[in-house]
Amino acid sequence: MSALASHTIPTEERRPAFSRLVTVELRKMVDTRSGFWLPIGVAAITLITVIISALVHHGHEATLAHLFRNSLMPGSFLLPILGILLVCGEWTQRTTLATFTLVPDRGRVLSAKMAASLVFSVGAFVVCLACSAVFAELVGNAPGGAGGIGIAVLGQGLLFLMTAMLIGVAFGAAILVSAPGIVLYLLLPTIWNALAGAIHSLESVGNWLALGNTWSDLPQGNLSGTQWAQVGTTLALWLVLPMAIGWYRFRTRDVN
Amino acid sequence: MIEANSLTKRYGARAAVQDVSFSCAPGTVTGFLGPNGAGKSTTLKMLCGLAHPTSGSSTLLGRPFSQIPNPGRHIGVLIDASAAHSGRRGRETLALSAQLLGVSDSRVDEMLELVGLDKSAAAKRVGQYSLGMRQRLGIAHALLGDPELLILDEPANGLDPEGMRWMRGLLRDFAGRGGTVLLSSHLLHEVEAIADRLIIIADGKIAAEGTRDELVGDKAMTRVRSADDHALRSALRGFAIDVSVADDGALLAEATTEQVGDVALSAGVALRELGSSRAGGLERLFFELTQGADADAPSSDPGTSISAMEASSTLQETVR
Repeated sequence: MSALASHTIPTEERRPAFSRLVTVELRKMVDTRSGFWLPIGVAAITLITVIISALVHHGHEATLAHLFRNSLMPGSFLLPILGILLVCGEWTQRTTLATFTLVPDRGRVLSAKMAASLVFSVGAFVVCLACSAVFAELVGNAPGGAGGIGIAVLGQGLLFLMTAMLIGVAFGAAILVSAPGIVLYLLLPTIWNALAGAIHSLESVGNWLALGNTWSDLPQGNLSGTQWAQVGTTLALWLVLPMAIGWYRFRTRDVN
Repeated sequence: MIEANSLTKRYGARAAVQDVSFSCAPGTVTGFLGPNGAGKSTTLKMLCGLAHPTSGSSTLLGRPFSQIPNPGRHIGVLIDASAAHSGRRGRETLALSAQLLGVSDSRVDEMLELVGLDKSAAAKRVGQYSLGMRQRLGIAHALLGDPELLILDEPANGLDPEGMRWMRGLLRDFAGRGGTVLLSSHLLHEVEAIADRLIIIADGKIAAEGTRDELVGDKAMTRVRSADDHALRSALRGFAIDVSVADDGALLAEATTEQVGDVALSAGVALRELGSSRAGGLERLFFELTQGADADAPSSDPGTSISAMEASSTLQETVR
């Protein structure tokens, strides 16, 4: 404390800028022991996936678009878990005590975490594209060279990773505890799919609401209007709904 | 400046904190004292916006906590020293908050030096820290934004005697420069040496508050043994001095040692033991006020039984 404390808060005082909050959230993602190794692990698994899919057909189907689609699979599975940990880690490790006493507007904290996830997804997208480009060039011997890649495939691939990680953030915010958050994230879609498979009347809604169907077809590129609508309804159930619950719980829950 | 107005926190039918009002003035250290489970932490969390009061309100520096744009620049908070990411290095823990607050990175090193965490300790992961080191890191974290108000929950927990002396100096100095300190403890001796004012909380309610002298009252209390207690007792009563008998048979007179000595001389009674028991007055008051609450506090919490045992043994020493 300086020699003479004013004991009032200057009226011109500003909140920490949102961009700074996002930077800090990104820093938090990688500055712990587990945080450091998880993204490296995701990148490594992505690389291995690309190598395997490049070699498995002796390069015959190793077009850039094919490798790129395959490269997204590990990320689409692991980024939601990173998203869950990004939110729940703070509640489990109780660093929320420090975070919320520095940024009392918890909605800004959660928004910063969402923004940080989007930035992280872009990073993951770049890794996926780089790995697939390198191996398409090295191994690809399909007719017409390594083959081009449509802007739709790239854009929808990016959207796929972004929504995957946001779904994790939403589940994390709704559940707030790491282990149950991850378990529920893995179980609920599986249970849903099993139900839809078993109960005939649910089968028709499967494409509209199951994560495994239309949403995961995003990287294929050419989606019809109906399919886009199906992506929308699926995301409403698995992203918007848990995010709405999470937005409420994250902001109102007492910190222990 | 801290103002708490009728803060109440209910969990179902149970009131963890009930109608708690107090204020803390700049330049003072206020000790928030009570057994574990009395509602201290819940109250502090409500002040800092970490828990939402069922009713009541509070302001810090004239505003509710949530309305302060960059609270870390004004209010240093340490609610629980063990609430740090165990996989993050000590220095990084501070550097993250420094970035958020917008203070320079060199401030991090200054604070580490201030709390006595050297370079090798700062480079370790917090998971490897002892409780005392976490406490020091937590205090460094609270001081990072150069605040004018400190809210510390059980800051002495895990500190060795040297650490406690260090912290006492640090907080006295902070208040001496005009800062406001509110710290909690379940151990009276931890706070009575630092605090100007005490708020004793039991069962979620404020049981007593004031300066040490106000709490004990300015009535002096003297323990005395003599060759003829019966005669001394009548003589003291002759001077309108209230006398009671302690458990071990010694007399407790509501008078100064000088007065009791004079009475004994005039009565011709030889003294065997004479001493002021004022020092124990606060301890006795704390024990009396919180005794009922102790029984209600969760028995699994070792701190509660320890504080009760300490209080009762000191009480017996005082009486003896």
